[in-house]
Amino acid sequence: MSYTSLNFLFFVIGTMLVYFLFPIKKHKWVVLLIASYVFYLFAGYKYVAFILFTTLSTYIIALWIEKISESSKLNIKQHKDQWSREDKKKYKEKIKKVKRLVMALALVLNFGILAFLKYYNFFSGSLNDIFGSFGMSFSMPTLKLFLPLGISFYTFQSMGYIIDVYREKTPAQRNPFKFALFVSFFPQIIQGPISIYDSLAHQLYESHSFDFTRFKYGAELILWGLIKKMVIADRAVIAINTVTAEYNSYGGTALTFTILLYALQLYADFSGGIDISRGVAQIFGIDMMENFRRPYFSKDINEYWRRWHISLGNWFKNYLFYPLAMSSLFLNTSKKIKSTKFGSTVAGTHIAKVLPTSIASFIVFFIVGIWHGAYWKYVGFGIWNGGIIMLSVLMKPVFEWCHKKLHINPKTALYTVFQILRTFVVVLVGYVFDVAPSFKQAINTFVLFFTDQNLSVGRSQISNLGLDKKEYLLILAGAVFIFIISVIQERHNKTTIRSMLDQKPFIFRWFAVFAGIIMLVVFGVYGSGFNAADFVYMQF
Amino acid sequence: MEILNELRPDVDFENETALIEDGILDSFDIVALVGELNDAFDIEIKPNDLVPENFNSAKAMMNLIEQLQD
Repeated sequence: MSYTSLNFLFFVIGTMLVYFLFPIKKHKWVVLLIASYVFYLFAGYKYVAFILFTTLSTYIIALWIEKISESSKLNIKQHKDQWSREDKKKYKEKIKKVKRLVMALALVLNFGILAFLKYYNFFSGSLNDIFGSFGMSFSMPTLKLFLPLGISFYTFQSMGYIIDVYREKTPAQRNPFKFALFVSFFPQIIQGPISIYDSLAHQLYESHSFDFTRFKYGAELILWGLIKKMVIADRAVIAINTVTAEYNSYGGTALTFTILLYALQLYADFSGGIDISRGVAQIFGIDMMENFRRPYFSKDINEYWRRWHISLGNWFKNYLFYPLAMSSLFLNTSKKIKSTKFGSTVAGTHIAKVLPTSIASFIVFFIVGIWHGAYWKYVGFGIWNGGIIMLSVLMKPVFEWCHKKLHINPKTALYTVFQILRTFVVVLVGYVFDVAPSFKQAINTFVLFFTDQNLSVGRSQISNLGLDKKEYLLILAGAVFIFIISVIQERHNKTTIRSMLDQKPFIFRWFAVFAGIIMLVVFGVYGSGFNAADFVYMQF
Repeated sequence: MEILNELRPDVDFENETALIEDGILDSFDIVALVGELNDAFDIEIKPNDLVPENFNSAKAMMNLIEQLQD
């Protein structure tokens, strides 16, 4: 059941009716839990064992960690008078080690499953190639593995929770069913956002009554998401799929066009899907975190990664980047560089300050890259993004020096536009790794960008991608529309388009909503059996 | 305060109260800051302590430092 199917619409309406009419306020959350599991069963009953395993193992281990913390605190209290400061410190260290070990058990179990399902075939294939090249006949079998729906997202979310319990940021949930709802909440299971326990869970368990303003805002957000997804993304994907099916037969111009189209399609698809998720949650009285903040307006690549897929970025920042960058290894490296002769120079001070951090961020991007899939091209994607960030941070003083020498004021509007375009190009290069079927073809694409630009060949190839001129115009109009909306949002950062719309006259408001619905019905792309194309991020 | 001004001379640390929430300090600044504060005050700031409330203003950071020194 896709978020864009009619079935899903009926499913949401049905769940809404039951939820808001449910008489026992204290137990309203049970309706959401049942709905989430019904939704998940629709995706395939085979998958349920995986999500149940993650739910149960995380639930039990979180309680275990909490028990260790509590009993250790009690123990310290009881021995308050007997233990010296040193004894206390030693005991605390010991407990910390035990807790860390227990937490590691949860991480290894759950990330282990994810890694096995995602990477087993990549490793067995690579190993077989290596053995083969030595003339050995040893071979590891290739398994038919499937990825359970949303496994990345619910695994990340659950592991975030375990780490939060370990850090004593949040108490462990005692009710296994309540915890199961946090893991499986249906609006976010397909593609996030990856929520933090502290900000989402209590909202799920509270009882919410029907609120017309929330309903209206939620429905408008869903409509906007559907338009982005079905009118723009699902149309653009037709051309993109045609190209990727026979990637080698296209020239540089057509490929340039495809990458640009992909930038639009990916954003419309992913942000559209998140809008649907957040809109549905909003109707139920639940506010989920923002996942996109007009990422293509970013002035540098660091900023882009803070505005694109924000919840995943936050996850990696809090649970991987900070622990890495703040580990004694990295902080001491910084100190070591500082203590050398080179460390006392201007360049040395800067490098001592940022090199360890940028190595940590490089590692994070490398992992984000291979999280997308076990292919060399995603390794390329990770290295490109991580490498550019590393370079931009390390070279910052050089850029600032250049600005001074060339008398450039980085605060002018013109320079800002230049920065935005520059960042967009960096992002597009990253997308090439995404679109090209293999690493080799990605590299080849870069060569074609420079050596094979031919307008007339490109034009004829582009006109044969399964879309006619009118449809391209429609996509263009959609892109312009998203752009205008984004500029308005950018200018009114603190409010939403929906609340701005609310202040307009009644007729204008209804006209806007009605026009949106008409647009969706008339121009939406409906595949066979009313099933829209799968969300791009569903596969991760 | 000296550490802060040295880290980001362009920011008004006296008056800003939403350094994290408004995105004035990014994660690279935070890590650099943590390294400096650890050394200067002989404390150990952990990833747990990295919540916006602890770093939104110079005053909040001072509170965190005092808390960790206890």
